[in-house]
Amino acid sequence: MEQQALLQVNHLSTHFRSNPTGLFRRAGLIKAVDDISFFINRGEVLSLVGESGCGKTTVGRTLTKLQPSSGGEALFHGRDILPLSQSVFRPLRREIQMIFQDPFASLNPRLTIEQTLAEPLFIHKLAADSNQARQQVADILEQVGLDASVMKRHPHEFSGGQRQRIGIARVMIVKPKLIIADEAVSALDVSIQAQVLNLLKQLQQEHRLSMLFISHDLGVVRHISDRVAVMYRGKIVETASKPEIFSNPQHAYTKKLLAAIPRVPTLQRAS
Amino acid sequence: MALLEINNLSIAVASQGQLLPVVTDCSFSVAAHETLGVVGESGCGKSLTALAIMGLLEGSQVNITSGSIVFDGRDLLQLRPAQRRAIMGNQMAMVFQEPMTSLNPVYRIGEQITEVLQQHRKITHRESRQRALELLDLVKIPHPQDRIDSYPHQLSGGQRQRVMIAIAMACEPALLIADEPTTALDVTVQKEVLDLMLDLQTRTGTSIILISHDLGVIAETCDEVAVMYRGRIIEKATTASLFANMAHPYTRGLLASIPTIDTDNDWLQAIPGRVPGIDEKVNGCPFHPRCAHTETPCTQTAPRLIDTHPHHAVRCHFAGEI
Amino acid sequence: MTLRTTIAAVFRGRKLAALGAVWLCIITVAAIGAQFIAPFDPLEIDPIARLSEPGLPYLFGTDHFGRDTFSRAVYGARMALIIGIGSVLVALICGGLIGLLSAYFSTLGHFLMRIIDVLMAFPALLLALVLMTLLERSVINTVIVIGIVYATTTARIFFGMTLKLKNEVFIDAARCSGAGHGSILFRHILPNLWSPLLVQASFIFAFAQLQAAALDFLGLGLPPEVASWGNMLAEEKIYITRAPWLLMFPGALIILSVFSMNLVGDAMRDSIDPRFKNDIAGI
Repeated sequence: MEQQALLQVNHLSTHFRSNPTGLFRRAGLIKAVDDISFFINRGEVLSLVGESGCGKTTVGRTLTKLQPSSGGEALFHGRDILPLSQSVFRPLRREIQMIFQDPFASLNPRLTIEQTLAEPLFIHKLAADSNQARQQVADILEQVGLDASVMKRHPHEFSGGQRQRIGIARVMIVKPKLIIADEAVSALDVSIQAQVLNLLKQLQQEHRLSMLFISHDLGVVRHISDRVAVMYRGKIVETASKPEIFSNPQHAYTKKLLAAIPRVPTLQRAS
Repeated sequence: MALLEINNLSIAVASQGQLLPVVTDCSFSVAAHETLGVVGESGCGKSLTALAIMGLLEGSQVNITSGSIVFDGRDLLQLRPAQRRAIMGNQMAMVFQEPMTSLNPVYRIGEQITEVLQQHRKITHRESRQRALELLDLVKIPHPQDRIDSYPHQLSGGQRQRVMIAIAMACEPALLIADEPTTALDVTVQKEVLDLMLDLQTRTGTSIILISHDLGVIAETCDEVAVMYRGRIIEKATTASLFANMAHPYTRGLLASIPTIDTDNDWLQAIPGRVPGIDEKVNGCPFHPRCAHTETPCTQTAPRLIDTHPHHAVRCHFAGEI
Repeated sequence: MTLRTTIAAVFRGRKLAALGAVWLCIITVAAIGAQFIAPFDPLEIDPIARLSEPGLPYLFGTDHFGRDTFSRAVYGARMALIIGIGSVLVALICGGLIGLLSAYFSTLGHFLMRIIDVLMAFPALLLALVLMTLLERSVINTVIVIGIVYATTTARIFFGMTLKLKNEVFIDAARCSGAGHGSILFRHILPNLWSPLLVQASFIFAFAQLQAAALDFLGLGLPPEVASWGNMLAEEKIYITRAPWLLMFPGALIILSVFSMNLVGDAMRDSIDPRFKNDIAGI
């Protein structure tokens, strides 16, 4: 018998009204996400790959209910989350967490790291008082490779890589089941990107997390995923296991994508 | 003789009464018909070097503190502003990273191309429009007749970057500086734009300085490579030699940290630590706080560029040994 | 950033603004310690010394009742401070809340911002005049009316800035953490409006002075017995040829104070987040 997926998305669609370009022209309909289906098992990383404007970010925003959906269903633990109201969905937010792309924009510049990290603890009643919260913040900072003493500082005092670690800490502190990582390492320099990617993978394996990893970078995707779904113009054109997609791509678009990536000579990689 | 020769260029930024070095003692040359890649992470000084060559640092907080930039036998830093303007856009042109913001949104793309032509050539309006059409065709914009009167927002990102290249190539410059020209583009479009640049180079013989953070892009397009870290060139070689005899621990680290689509490693070999800020002073080798091979000399004296192979220089005390 | 470094950053290289700040400090001291600084009771009448010229013991001379102009000017500073601070509070609390809520809840915003648009169609002084004629002349009513007049522009500015902030990624991040509307509005958005809030406050303070003086002059502002710079101008305007100092001193005080406040406001605006410069440059 087939194991029940942690997240099962069926025929999901998200449409936008476009702004009318002329004064009297009617608003058009943009099908950002157009009838897509996929599933993620427990402890599995599914990557959603595609180029800008293909709708991959909208999928993430729809599943975290930052964006209303237009059709289909998303079963989380077998329960459809799309029709839930924000207040009913709030307790579930603890289990479905999101990591954002831009480490410079995703932290409130006015709050200290401790305030930012402790906020979800109080919202979800995971800490009774600020002492307990501080202890948990210190623990999580250590887990993401930062010193606990940084919690008194503000975001502007950190580099991009450090901020993204803080972003990961904010997600991990509530012990989620599913992480949606939207281009989580794209804004980082290569040497820092590798650190953060390793961290993400290590946490994912330690806690057996499920992850929807949204990215345009096939190299990063190859490094972290178990399965890969390729998106093109709002539709998923191909889904396959990681070895399949890289060694035996089926869809023409996947092939084109793979062929376009500049190759780095690998002579010296083993140092 | 090289087309462009940069000797001991140093750049510093003025901040609160202090001069903080951002580029230190940088030397390289570009021969005619050649493509030089400059690679490094954000803040390594690669873009500032490009802006210095184009004379775009004037009037900013950033100053050239020493060195010379010799282009076609003349030191650009000694020229009067008017003489420099005659070179810019004419013999030397630049393509920027953001195709969204580097075109003026209120002018049609045809007007933006002819503007450069009329600036530098004695040419009638009709001729310049004809030339603009040729250029759009050259950069492979489909249906140039229809597109020449479009506004930038009506084009896709890749097409805008093609228009930028058309503007840069309008006067058939001897040197084209491209600062992360494809970073904002999708990979499939990136490939097309890079192919286009190389194609134009073989046709016109332009030299190119390609600035990028992406070793893959550099490896596929450049003849020579300079790797920068914290304002210094730490390794300089022909592309073939760089990847065959890669010597500097930073360059190796950079290569090892790239997740590639051709291999399955479980863990990437990241470079530990982070790049120190420009206001933090590091004694000795700028890379030593992050280097796995640090020994006493590294913390005390800054290494010089040493030739390890023909056309291959490395700034490391232990070049060739590790 | 500590208060000291902030102040240093605002006034570094802006000498004129620093002078303005010094002048405002003097006004504040005069306002707070009016009863110790003023040599006479501002309402005390000395019929023998009517319209005496500046000198001793009447530093700025006396008015047509024989009241000491200097003492009245010192008490006028107190009134200026009350009007300024009061209007700023009313404008920022009403306007700020309207702007914040309208931007955040778009349905409510459609309704509230249309009302603001209608109010903004009136010139500021006309709106104040209309409101004042409906109310009794008193300090509190003047404060409320001027506050409401500037609440409209404040609401517009806050509306724009909140719209922008609302779409910041860190707001999405807070929503993903499960933060509710109250927490997002007052914990995540409002603290990011602090610096523009401060700048806006400085401009409202300055314009409130002019507005109050204008209302006083037209006989619709503070009750005539209150010692305010505007009232001093209004009462003594007919003596402009016989005793010009009666108008010169309060007039100069108004101009200097407004000018100083504007200079300080400009300095604050120029030194705050570049993100907001464009939003509040147009006031």
